[in-house]
Amino acid sequence: MNEQLQSLLRRADRNVTLAQTRRQLFADAGLSLGSIALASMLAREGQAATGTAAESQPAAAVNPLAAKAPHFAPKAKRVIFMFMAGGPSQLELFDHKPKLNELDGQVVPQEFTKGKRFAFIKGTAKLVGTRRTFTKYGQCGMELGETLPHLGEIADDITLIKSMKTDVFNHGPAKLFVNTGSPQFSGRPSMGSWITYGIGSESQDLPGFVVLQSGPRGPRGGSSLWASGFLPTSYQGVPFLSGPEPILNLSNPPGVDQARQGDFFAAVRAMNGQHLEAVGDPEIATRIAAYEMAYRMQSSAPELMDLSDESEATLAMYGATPGKTSFANNCVLARRLIERGTRFVQLYHTDWDHHGNKDTHLGEPLTKICGEIDQPAAALVKDLKQRGLLKDTLVVWSGEFGRTPMGEPRELVGRDHHIDAYSLWMAGGGVKSGYIHGKTDEIGYNTVEDTVHVHDLQATILHLLGLDHLKLTHKFQGRNFRLTDVHGHVVDKILA
Amino acid sequence: MPCRRSLLALVAVFGSLSSLEAAPPATAAPVDFVRDVQPILTQHCVKCHGPAKEESGLRVDSAAAMLTGGYSGAAIVPGKSAESILIQVVTGKGDLSPMPPKGPKLSAAEVAVLAKWIDSGAAAPKEAPPVARTATNASSHWAYQPVKVAAPPTVRNEAWVRNPIDRYILAKLEAAGLAPSPEAEKPVLVRRLYLDLLGLLPSPAEVDAYVYDNAPGAYERLVDRLLASPHYGERWGRHWLDAARYADSNGYTIDSGRSIWKYRDWVIDALNADKPFDQFSIEQIAGDMLPDATQDQKIATGFHRNTLVNEEGGTDKEQFRVEAVVDRVSTVSTVWLGLTVACARCHDHKYDAISQREFYQLFALLNNCEEPTLAFPTAHQSKEEPALLAEVTQVKKRLAEVEKNSPGRQIGWEKIVREELRKLEKSGDAPETLDVLADFIAALDAPEDKRTEAQKTLLAEKFRKNDVERVNLDGQLAELNAKLKKLKLKITTTLVVKEMAKPRESYIHVRGDFLRKGAAVEGGMLAALPPPRLADGARATRLDLARWLVSPENPLTPRVTMNRVWQQYFGTGLVGTENDFGTQGDAPTHPDLLDYLAATFVKGAGKTPWSLKAMHRQIVTSATYRQSSHARPDAAAKDPYNKLLARQSRIRLEAETIRDAGLTASGLLAREIGGPGVYPPQPEGIYAFTQQRKFWPVAEGDDRYRRGLYTYFWRSSPYPFLMTFDAPDANAACTRRIRSNTPLQALTLANDRAFVEMAEALAVRVLKETASNDTDRLAAAFRLCLAREPQAQELATLTQFLKSQRIAAKNEPIAAASRPSPTKSSPSLLAGEGGSTAKADETGEGSISAPIDPDRIAWTAVARVLLNLDEFITRE
Repeated sequence: MNEQLQSLLRRADRNVTLAQTRRQLFADAGLSLGSIALASMLAREGQAATGTAAESQPAAAVNPLAAKAPHFAPKAKRVIFMFMAGGPSQLELFDHKPKLNELDGQVVPQEFTKGKRFAFIKGTAKLVGTRRTFTKYGQCGMELGETLPHLGEIADDITLIKSMKTDVFNHGPAKLFVNTGSPQFSGRPSMGSWITYGIGSESQDLPGFVVLQSGPRGPRGGSSLWASGFLPTSYQGVPFLSGPEPILNLSNPPGVDQARQGDFFAAVRAMNGQHLEAVGDPEIATRIAAYEMAYRMQSSAPELMDLSDESEATLAMYGATPGKTSFANNCVLARRLIERGTRFVQLYHTDWDHHGNKDTHLGEPLTKICGEIDQPAAALVKDLKQRGLLKDTLVVWSGEFGRTPMGEPRELVGRDHHIDAYSLWMAGGGVKSGYIHGKTDEIGYNTVEDTVHVHDLQATILHLLGLDHLKLTHKFQGRNFRLTDVHGHVVDKILA
Repeated sequence: MPCRRSLLALVAVFGSLSSLEAAPPATAAPVDFVRDVQPILTQHCVKCHGPAKEESGLRVDSAAAMLTGGYSGAAIVPGKSAESILIQVVTGKGDLSPMPPKGPKLSAAEVAVLAKWIDSGAAAPKEAPPVARTATNASSHWAYQPVKVAAPPTVRNEAWVRNPIDRYILAKLEAAGLAPSPEAEKPVLVRRLYLDLLGLLPSPAEVDAYVYDNAPGAYERLVDRLLASPHYGERWGRHWLDAARYADSNGYTIDSGRSIWKYRDWVIDALNADKPFDQFSIEQIAGDMLPDATQDQKIATGFHRNTLVNEEGGTDKEQFRVEAVVDRVSTVSTVWLGLTVACARCHDHKYDAISQREFYQLFALLNNCEEPTLAFPTAHQSKEEPALLAEVTQVKKRLAEVEKNSPGRQIGWEKIVREELRKLEKSGDAPETLDVLADFIAALDAPEDKRTEAQKTLLAEKFRKNDVERVNLDGQLAELNAKLKKLKLKITTTLVVKEMAKPRESYIHVRGDFLRKGAAVEGGMLAALPPPRLADGARATRLDLARWLVSPENPLTPRVTMNRVWQQYFGTGLVGTENDFGTQGDAPTHPDLLDYLAATFVKGAGKTPWSLKAMHRQIVTSATYRQSSHARPDAAAKDPYNKLLARQSRIRLEAETIRDAGLTASGLLAREIGGPGVYPPQPEGIYAFTQQRKFWPVAEGDDRYRRGLYTYFWRSSPYPFLMTFDAPDANAACTRRIRSNTPLQALTLANDRAFVEMAEALAVRVLKETASNDTDRLAAAFRLCLAREPQAQELATLTQFLKSQRIAAKNEPIAAASRPSPTKSSPSLLAGEGGSTAKADETGEGSISAPIDPDRIAWTAVARVLLNLDEFITRE
């Protein structure tokens, strides 16, 4: 044992010496890593010179992700968007409809479905009451389904919107609609891209827009959901994989240790610097800055992913197990990311598509998936609150649409995709606490009060970040495009 | 998109409906159009729906115009006010936006007058028909005007001019008081030409061949040689494939694979053959409709099949078919006309002379495609299929016979079975079996005419299952079908379009919603441009559209095409908004040059009209192109964006070209042209974010080192290297790539396994091919990557670096073996001997513990640095 330790120490000692030797060599050549000051300097200048989001053009030359001032004082500085892919059933979780239970088994009145199209329901469909019980929580008396007890604990911290509406009823287009404001796969930028385009990121060594994934499969729609579209790729979402190497190509190539990687970056930096002097193209300075950030990312990203410095109590609160891919772990990571300055974190969790087949019904499968997300989602809000981060961090929990009050003629109880009414919740970052917004009719088919359309949600998220959705535009193909297309109103009533 | 705002507004005005019912009954006197109706319409409607404007294609200044209607159909239905759109919109009923959109609503009395007039037959005095509609589309915008060629301007510095292009450029520079930049050094020029024309790096020998060729015309000879290279078609084909939104999968969420690479190869071949651009265009848009269309002309129509296909459950098929047609309208308009026609899908174009009706006229031309798959069996496969089919026929025939004599044989079978069962009963051996068979036995025992339906079915089923003859034949048939299926999977196929015998009915989609059919439309072109040449009374077709796009009178196609070619060489087009030549786009910086290029293109610079190669030759042999790209601080104040071209631009290479450059420098490149997509190594974990894991069998051998454009492209999870360097997502036409500069690019070049392999191969190449002294080797590596000699300071830096890495490698001989590799399947960067490791097997295991040559380690480190230089991934 002692011998092993001795040999280990010897080896470590030798490595240090070797590293020092190499450093010395580099210093002789004027190449030490410490001398990489130019790019940092340029990056700072870029930051200082950058104007407000409205005129975001040339100063971004060095670091396009440098933080920029928004249009007006923001309530939220960052966003964590929990995307419940597949369309959670509001009727089992958020929107309690005793009348629907009374009408269970009856054919839905024609007046509701006339002229409507659905993904799977054809002809007449029968109403299905919920099999779930609801409980009132908090001072505000928010009613929530039995599968979300932890959410109940933070009912007084959240805004529940029961009157959401969207335009499209297939998963891919609907997810795209929430993310880009357009249901077509036609190259529109996603919300996170618009936001980092508008106000940059606070992080110098992690991406400004990060996407995390948990559940049995990736979200339908793929990379278009976090694409930067016609905005530069600097703004596209970076999907993080689970495990110590979250970003593609983050690790050194096999056989290259940190010291040699440092040497490598220093040499590239020196050569690029010489070429910059020769040809004078500022693009080279940007390249130098990008390599610096890449080098920093190589150490900061594994550090980010390593949950060993989280306390037992914190991990227990989330229900997170280090080393596992889970929504709980992703919630912890989301907090760690925003602590490190990342602007927009999106967590996808699949799959909420409860149509009523063997593994997709509103019984056990719903219980199971709620079990996966309820505790961690609530823990994230609690954790942010106790760390003082909730006040300027906006948390959003939403799917791409809701589910029909009618059932589907399948083996087990399930519901079809529904665009006329669904629910979501938000917390922190300038939205009200313990507040319920909007109403649906007595069977939960249509919204009847304070309807919030997807474009309104987008306008509101931008507003909370200090961005005017009408002004955050980018000219493409002769037209100024925006996240909210040609629609969208800020939902004033939910603002704190 | 259904307009929810109109629905909301609809709810808002619901209250007023009841007041309509309660309105005082109209007077008994008949309503007179001129006296009673027209004043109401004039007051509220005609401003937007009259001679000045025809919003939504509708005029209401005459009864006839209202009967003709607009995009949503007739405004009035005589006798039926409730069904008339006019009444619906002024009362807020129906699903159109309530009218008028601004200003006071019509009073209940006014509405009642209109309704009464319609209900009583909508009589009106005979009147002159309204002014022709198309008048509104005449436009004075520059891009719609005919191409005009003026004599090239005169310049003071005649000596600089190499061809007419230079006159246009120099005249503006001189006017601004700027001198052009000196010609770039020869090594820079040769690297520039190789990258621009072939997308590959020149070998040191190729560089030398030009640099030391002092005979006149050396440059032009080099250009001609490159234009004749088959790699030219790959390079310029990739630009075209961006516009054609080419990919190897269906897109949306399921994103299954598709086979359409024959189209990709058609593009490469057509460009290599310098197929005249008009023909190149016609074949892609309507090759199937050409008389005696050849196989190749049909393959070309794959252009239209690059649309996405939504395979998600529960989708409305018609919705996504329409979506694909809309995409075709939009793509054709963007690619050839450089117009944002798609803006007119939901309403008249806000800025340009494109009406919603015209959008749907184009839609009608592209709405009549069947979507077949062409198969290309080999001679052997061609023989195999009929043989199998003949066997299938045989077996089916025998099955039919068996079927025919089944009843007779069933009787015999029943008897035998009953016998057997009797024996079993007597033996008393298997009472459980008999219990289970109780129903069956009862059926057997029942006299034939007394059997119930259920019993008959039961017996027939049992017989079918146990009929040896039938079972054998069924087996044979299944086997044959499996063979056929396998054969079909092996046969190369490609997706094409074919015009339907009878065209579909096409309509204006009200607000772009395909469920809301407006007025019927027939095919037609844009009125702002010269009309198509059609036979009298003939209905326009997709082929007419193709011919119209490339007709010599159309000023847009050659301007747009030449502008995009220019953009590739200078970083920006003469019109900066290469996809918008409309009123919102940029004006050309050099309008006369653009027209000169367009006219020369159409007429033919030398011999052939519409020759792209001739235009490439003219541009790259200009003095303008040959300038140095070094910064010009003296010009920066006057021309900060280098619009006047007082210098060339430094352009970051495109994604595929970065890969190809790495492959050329390292000597790994497999130069085979065409064929199915390939699967070079990619990082682990790509499919954690897709709905379905994609097929990615990492290629071995040559396919591992093919050019970037052959990499299989899954739309929902594209090859990460490509996307990191701004390759388009292939969901919509891309006519200009973004050139970003990000940390993820740095990580990719530094650590990606494909690039690491190139670095190692480059090191091996340098060690093998060059003399043993460090300086010579460094210079050789430099030439391989940058086509030039290193400067003294660069050489010093690299020498120091090489030494430091050599010391490190010597002192840490076990480094590679003791360090865990981050992903098991990455090939080791440093392990093994000889050049073979560069093509190490996927796992790379086994080679990890092999002895390591410190020199190789050090040289690999140097190679990695060179491949990561900004200059390496830049066309200077």
